[in-house]
Amino acid sequence: MIPELGNFALIIALCFSLVQFAAPLRGICKKTISPLSADISAMAAIGQFIFLSIAFFCLILSFINNDLTVIFVREHSHSLLPIIYRIGAAWGGHEGSLLLWCLILSSWTIAFLLVTSCFLNTSDKTLLPKILTTLGLLSAGFIVFLFFTSNPFARNFPTGLIVGDDLTPLLQDPGLIFHPPMLYFGYVGFAIAFAFAISALIDGKLDRTWVQACRPWVIMPWSFLSCGIVLGSWWAYRELGWGGWWFWDPVENASLLPWLSATALIHALAVCEKRNVFKGWVILLAILTFSLSLLGTFLVRSGVLVSVHAFASDPTRGLFLLAYLTLIIGGSLFLYSLRIKYFFQAPTFKIISRETTLLINTVILVTAVATISIGTLYPIILDTLNLEKISVGEPYFTTIFLPIMLPLLLLMGVAPHVSWGEQSFKSLWKKLHLTFVSSFLLGFIAPALLGFPFHILAALGISLSAWIILGTAQYAFQLRGKISLRHWSMIIAHIGIAIFALGVSINKSYSEERQVKMKIGETVSLAGYEFTFKNLEELKVSNYQAIKATFSIQKNHSTPELLFAEQRVYTSHEQSLSRPGIVANVWRDLYLALGSTLADNSWSVRIYYKPCVRWIWFGGFMLLIGGLLSLLDYWNKRNPA
Amino acid sequence: MKIRVIIPFLIFISIVIILWRGLGLQPAKVPSPLIGKPAPSFQLPLLFDPQKITHDKDLKGHITLLNVWATWCTACAEEHDALLHISKNDSFVLYGLDYKDDPDKAKDWLQKNGNPYKLVAMDKAGLAAIDWGVYGTPETFVIDKSGVVRYKQIGPITSEVWSETFLPLLAELQNEPQNP
Repeated sequence: MIPELGNFALIIALCFSLVQFAAPLRGICKKTISPLSADISAMAAIGQFIFLSIAFFCLILSFINNDLTVIFVREHSHSLLPIIYRIGAAWGGHEGSLLLWCLILSSWTIAFLLVTSCFLNTSDKTLLPKILTTLGLLSAGFIVFLFFTSNPFARNFPTGLIVGDDLTPLLQDPGLIFHPPMLYFGYVGFAIAFAFAISALIDGKLDRTWVQACRPWVIMPWSFLSCGIVLGSWWAYRELGWGGWWFWDPVENASLLPWLSATALIHALAVCEKRNVFKGWVILLAILTFSLSLLGTFLVRSGVLVSVHAFASDPTRGLFLLAYLTLIIGGSLFLYSLRIKYFFQAPTFKIISRETTLLINTVILVTAVATISIGTLYPIILDTLNLEKISVGEPYFTTIFLPIMLPLLLLMGVAPHVSWGEQSFKSLWKKLHLTFVSSFLLGFIAPALLGFPFHILAALGISLSAWIILGTAQYAFQLRGKISLRHWSMIIAHIGIAIFALGVSINKSYSEERQVKMKIGETVSLAGYEFTFKNLEELKVSNYQAIKATFSIQKNHSTPELLFAEQRVYTSHEQSLSRPGIVANVWRDLYLALGSTLADNSWSVRIYYKPCVRWIWFGGFMLLIGGLLSLLDYWNKRNPA
Repeated sequence: MKIRVIIPFLIFISIVIILWRGLGLQPAKVPSPLIGKPAPSFQLPLLFDPQKITHDKDLKGHITLLNVWATWCTACAEEHDALLHISKNDSFVLYGLDYKDDPDKAKDWLQKNGNPYKLVAMDKAGLAAIDWGVYGTPETFVIDKSGVVRYKQIGPITSEVWSETFLPLLAELQNEPQNP
C-alpha cells in the first residue's frame, strides 16, 4: 500500500511540474505575464513539493518497515541493518538518490519562491514566473526519468524466503547520512542560477537588480557543494584505508567541476554588480555551472565511466539522460548564441584593474574546468575513436592541475588591493612588496628552521599561502572601521583556500608510509613515532563481526595514545572490510590499516604519517562559513532593521 | 551572427556525440597498467596452511596464471569448471588469490567443488589486490617466466577466451627465455 501511495504521489508531482512549466508560457511569448498564470505556476510548485515529499516519505517508510517486496528496498536493506542506515539507504542507490535529486530541486524552487514573494520588492518579481517555468521543465524531465526508467517503488512478489541484499558495507558510515544530501543541495541548487540566465536571455536584459537577486542563489549552493565535497573527501579518507583524501575519481571530478565553475561565476557576478560589465560571461558561466552538474549526474548514472561511485548502469537510463542533457544544455546554448548580441559592450577598464584580476581568475578557473573535463572524458574520447583503452589517473591531474592553480593563488594575494577601473603598477608594488618578499622568505626558510628537508612543493605552497593570508590581512587592516560583512565573507573564504593549499602542499611533501609485518608486542617506528601492537579482540555488532587491534603510539616517551583498527566481516555480504584506525591532532594524523594475518600470528599492517591533513578539510569548511556570512550580508541589506 | 557566439554550442554538441558513442562501450575493459612490468611485491599467507607465506618470488621460473576469486562472487563460481579443466594443462601453474573472503568458507568451498589451484593466497583485507589493481572478481593475470605481468583478463575465462586469447599467448610465452 505505501509503495503504491508513493508512486501515486510521483504521478501527481509530475502533473504539477508540467503545470508549473506551462502556465506562464503563453505570457512569456507575448511578453506580458498575467498575475493569474504566475500564481498558478507558483501554486503548482508548492503542490509539486508537497507530493514529492510524500513520495520520499513513503520510500523511507518502506525502508523502515523493511518492505522486501519493493525491489529497491530489497537490494539495499537488510533486517539486521541499523535503523539510521536504513534511512540513509533510501539514497544509497540509484533510484532513491534520484528521488532525492527531484525533492531537492523542488525544495530550492520553494525556497526561491518564498524568499522572492516575501522579501523582494515588485521589480524583482517579474523574474519569478520565467524562473518557475524553467525549473518546472527541469523538474518534469527528471520526474519522468525517475518514474519510467528508475522507479524506486517498483515491486515484485517472489515466492519463498527472501532477505535483503543489504547496503554495501562501505556505505554504512555516518558519511552516508550527510554527504550525498549536502552534495545534491549544491549541485541541484545551481538550477536557479541557470533559470536566471535563461530569463536574462529571453528578456535580452541583465541589470543590477538581476545580479543582486541572482547572487545568493549561486553562493548558497556553492557553500553546500564545498561542504559536500569536503565531507566526501573526509569519508573516503576514513573508510577506504588508502590514506588518501582525493583520488581524481571521475565522480569526484564531477563534483569539483561545477564547484570550480561556480567559483568563477561568483567572481564574475561581483564585477557585474559593481561595474555593469561581463554580462555575457556571467550568463555563460551560469549555464556552464548547471550543465556541469547535469553532466556529473550523467557520468554517474549512465555507466560510461568506471568509478567507485558508479551505480548499476543501464543503457536506457544513459540514453534518456543524454537526450535530456541535449535538450536542456543544447537548447540553452543555442538560445545563448541567438541572444547574446544584446549583451555585447566595449570594455571600460584598463589592463591593471580589479576587473582584469577577476577576469583572469575566471579564465584560470574555466581553464581548470576544461583540463579536468578533458582528463575525465579522455578515455571515452580515445575509445570512441577506436584508438586505445586507457584510464587517466592521478599523475595527469596533478601535473596539469597544479601549474594552473599556482598563478591563481598568486593572484589571490594581490587582487583585493587592486582598484576598480585603473591602478598603477608602481603604487601596487609599493604597497605590497614587503608582504610579497616576506611570504616567499617564510616559505623557503620556515621548513628548514623547523628541521624539515627542503621540498619545492612545500616551499611554494607555504609561500603562496602566506602571501594570501598576509595580503588579505593587510587588506582587512587597511579597511579597519569600514569593514563589512561582505568583506569578512571574502576574507574568510580566501584564508580558507590558503589553509587548504598549505595542508595540501605540506601533506604531499612530508607524508610517510610503511608496510610492515607485526606481531602482538612488536614495535615499529615511522616519522619518529613508535607504534606498538598491543592486543587483538573479537567484537560482535548487530550486522558484522570484527577483529579489533589496539596499537599504542608514543613519541619521545610521551604519554602513549591508543589507536584502534578493525577488520570487519559483514554477515550478510560475507565480505570483509578493513576499517583504518586514526589518531589525529592539529599537526598530523597517524593512520593505520590492518592487512591480512600472516603465518605465526603476525599481521601485515600499513602505517601512514600524514602531516597537516586536517587543514585540507578545515580550509574547506571555512568556505562554507564565508558563503554563509555573505548570505547574512545579503539578508541584512534586504531587510534594514 | 558572429561565429564565436556559437562556439559553446558547437563544443557541447561534440561532447554529446562522444558521450552518445561512449554509451555503447565497455569501460571496465581497460588494460592493466601493470602489463609489461614486474608483478607487484606481496607477502600473503596460504589458505590451506596459514603458517606459510607466499611472495612474489614464487611467480618466477614458470608461467603463472593468477586467478583472483572469492566465494561471494557468482561469476567466479561460473568460471570454476573452466578452471578445473584448464588446470590439467601443465605448461603453466595456476595460483589463486582469495579476495576479501572468509578463509573457512573458502576452504569448504574448494573442498566441495574441487581445487584447481596449486597454491591459494589469502588476501582477506584486499590490500594486496589494491597493488594489483583488482577492481572486480574474477580477474586473471598471466605472468611470464621472469615474473613480468603480460596480460590481464577481466571477467570469467570462457572457452572462447581460452582458445582465442590464452592459448596463443601461452604458446608464445613458452618459447621465451627466462630473464633473471
